[in-house]
Amino acid sequence: MSGDYNPAPEGNPSVLTRRNRFQTALVKFIGERTPKCRQVVRILSQSMDSKLSLTVRIKLRLHYLICAWYQRYEKQLHELRKFASSVPDHLNDFSADTLSPTAKKRMREALRKDRRE
Amino acid sequence: MQSPKIEGATPVVTATIDPERWVEEHSDCLYRCALLRVRRPEIAEDLVQETFLAAVRTSGSFRGKSSERTWLCGILKNKICDHFRKIGRETSFTDLEFLNDELSHKFVPQGFWNHEHGPLEWKPEAEVVMHRAEFWETLRNCLSKLPERVADVFMLREMEEMETEQICRDLNISPSNLWVMLHRARMALRECLEMNWFKDPRQEGG
Repeated sequence: MSGDYNPAPEGNPSVLTRRNRFQTALVKFIGERTPKCRQVVRILSQSMDSKLSLTVRIKLRLHYLICAWYQRYEKQLHELRKFASSVPDHLNDFSADTLSPTAKKRMREALRKDRRE
Repeated sequence: MQSPKIEGATPVVTATIDPERWVEEHSDCLYRCALLRVRRPEIAEDLVQETFLAAVRTSGSFRGKSSERTWLCGILKNKICDHFRKIGRETSFTDLEFLNDELSHKFVPQGFWNHEHGPLEWKPEAEVVMHRAEFWETLRNCLSKLPERVADVFMLREMEEMETEQICRDLNISPSNLWVMLHRARMALRECLEMNWFKDPRQEGG
């Protein structure tokens, strides 16, 4: 089923949605020469941690033109980062764990002992 | 690791040291903070205690410029870093094999997304979602499904904003293993949040 493209979903953010024959040919041309989505999601993850080479960035840019999902996935990686970095500000919602009274007692004793020494 | 900067924190005017009061006032907060990073209650508890003991010894360095809690949090963060360095010896098979098919069912054999399984639009927006207490519980559940090491690297990178080079050094992980673990952690968390929070509108419709 080489070259078979699934129909674009509604709200497809790709620039080349609802394409004519010429555009479809262009999409195939680009699709065959740029990293596939499976690799693209790997590269997008890497782009969160380091600067990509110019060649890779150009290839991603081309892939972006033909891919319905690229933009959304990339945005969600940034949102994930935002969630993770906001956890300390929402610590009480994130966890309601408390130290047991015995643990606190142990700590007070350890501190008292430490002071005496 | 930088100590957190909390704007507008009330400075403590009299910097008298009362460690036993610290236990009352700050131990739960420090405990949650430690638990979030090391996940094991017994280790978190030890780290909090070590923090108090270290604080007593270095209390001369506390000038009351920041709040007592910020100061204690800074010490705790150093203790957590030490802990990671200490245990940073081996990465298990489970960590490296986690999600090793990288959700291949979501892609057609040629490597493009299967449009049935493309990422859904997240609604409501991230900004809105973060105000919901239940969201953080969901995130916690999703994080708890990751293998230990994978969760560690994700949190060090995304929450602590640690550079990848430093993570590799501290945890003794090769760069290529780190890329892989980060990618799979992101993929798994994205998926988990989507399934458990950003519900599938297609399923609601059907």
